[in-house]
Amino acid sequence: MPVKKKKMLLSAETMDIDFVRKVEALSGTSVRRCFQCGKCSAGCPMATFMEHPPNRVVRLLQLGQWQRILAGRSIWYCASCETCSTRCPNKVHLASIMDALRKLSWDAEGPSKESYVQLANKLFLQNIRTYGRQYEMRLAAVFNVKSGQFLKDLMLGPKLITKGKLKMFHKKNKNMTEIEQIFSRIEEMRRNGEAP
Amino acid sequence: MTPKRILKYSYYPGCSLHASASEYDQSTRELFKVLNIGLTEVPDWICCGATPAHNVDELLSLSLCAKNLELAEKVDGDLAVACAACFSRLKFTQHTLEENDVKRKQVEKAINAPVKLDNRVKHLLEILARDLGLERLAAAVKKPLKGLKVACYYGCLLTRPPDVPNLDCVEAPTIMEDVLHAVGAETVAWSHRMECCGANFTLSRPGVVIQLSNAILESAKAAGADCFMVACPLCHGNLDIRQKEIEGVYNTSYGMPVFYITQLVGMACGLSSEKLGLGAMIVNPMPLLKEKHLI
Repeated sequence: MPVKKKKMLLSAETMDIDFVRKVEALSGTSVRRCFQCGKCSAGCPMATFMEHPPNRVVRLLQLGQWQRILAGRSIWYCASCETCSTRCPNKVHLASIMDALRKLSWDAEGPSKESYVQLANKLFLQNIRTYGRQYEMRLAAVFNVKSGQFLKDLMLGPKLITKGKLKMFHKKNKNMTEIEQIFSRIEEMRRNGEAP
Repeated sequence: MTPKRILKYSYYPGCSLHASASEYDQSTRELFKVLNIGLTEVPDWICCGATPAHNVDELLSLSLCAKNLELAEKVDGDLAVACAACFSRLKFTQHTLEENDVKRKQVEKAINAPVKLDNRVKHLLEILARDLGLERLAAAVKKPLKGLKVACYYGCLLTRPPDVPNLDCVEAPTIMEDVLHAVGAETVAWSHRMECCGANFTLSRPGVVIQLSNAILESAKAAGADCFMVACPLCHGNLDIRQKEIEGVYNTSYGMPVFYITQLVGMACGLSSEKLGLGAMIVNPMPLLKEKHLI
């Protein structure tokens, strides 16, 4: 995917370092340790799908240009395989940085180009809150309806059902109240500023 | 012979093992029965949150896993985990809560209970290779998997994150090969054993999975493997369920069955194909197994 060449102006106005500090605090890792060897991008299975490969995500953070990252799809195309963190010679935990960026983008409901991955994440978490566990049939069906791809993977369905791989019915966990309390306590802690 | 110790574990199957990977669950229970290892399912376990939870909400991810660790304390023994993704999350949580007091306090508040971390989180591979031991495993073999050339596919999460004490080397693990050699199978050396298959993009961006999983299938085939062995329901779904689709897109033919660890080890221990749930595999393993005189 060609990236439009935009002139990057570095000045006190364009470099938002406060945001970067937030990312560092959330991820527990420092972007300043990175010397741009590029090992993360070389090993990243998803780099070809991203407009900013992993090492450039860190470079943009070093320069305080976080808006460019959040506006693109790179963070949502990270598979969380942790190859980058495993191979970084400077112990930059890039997988955690990606988590932190996604959280900040998610909380701000930021303007990302990628909506399918966000939708899948949202449905996945909703399923936990409603049922306690994942029910793949439900997850896939609701995803198809909400994303407007009614026919996606339809051909796989009958085969999976005859093989007993998709359960048509499911029941809720017995401890749903406790699960709901975890979600609501976390929301309350956030409202009170006790948790990030 | 080493003196017999009684092994027993609490068991966290994870969501997939109750649905798309039910054969993994079934073969695990059958194999552990044959090996005389106790396995008690954690009562009312909940989803670990997997990738979507830690992707956008670390505290939620840690809290869900901590809740499961708390539930697991009700059952005797270390926690046996089958799914590589659940394993990675639960182990990461255990490690993080031991090391990080701030996060521990937040999690304790969220689950409204003290975090107990006495029982260790263990993957089935670790239990087979270390707790039971390769010698005792080899002694339980009734029908060695002679002539079967297996590509051991670790996927990404089995040995990661890197800073958490791991079940094996993060870059060049051999635990799957060790287990397979103990039951008489051959393994091949190949390039993509730890490359990502696309994991949960199977729901949101299946095109990604098709491209990445094709590279894995291609590499294993080129190395001369007959089949795969995996430890993760997502890897299994992508390589097995989507194999036909991948063959169509790339106009090629792989025809490689994808086994779970417990299916291959169980087969060597004399379990029938019904007990191992071989019928649930999408790529039919029967022609290969007949050719190798294993059934």
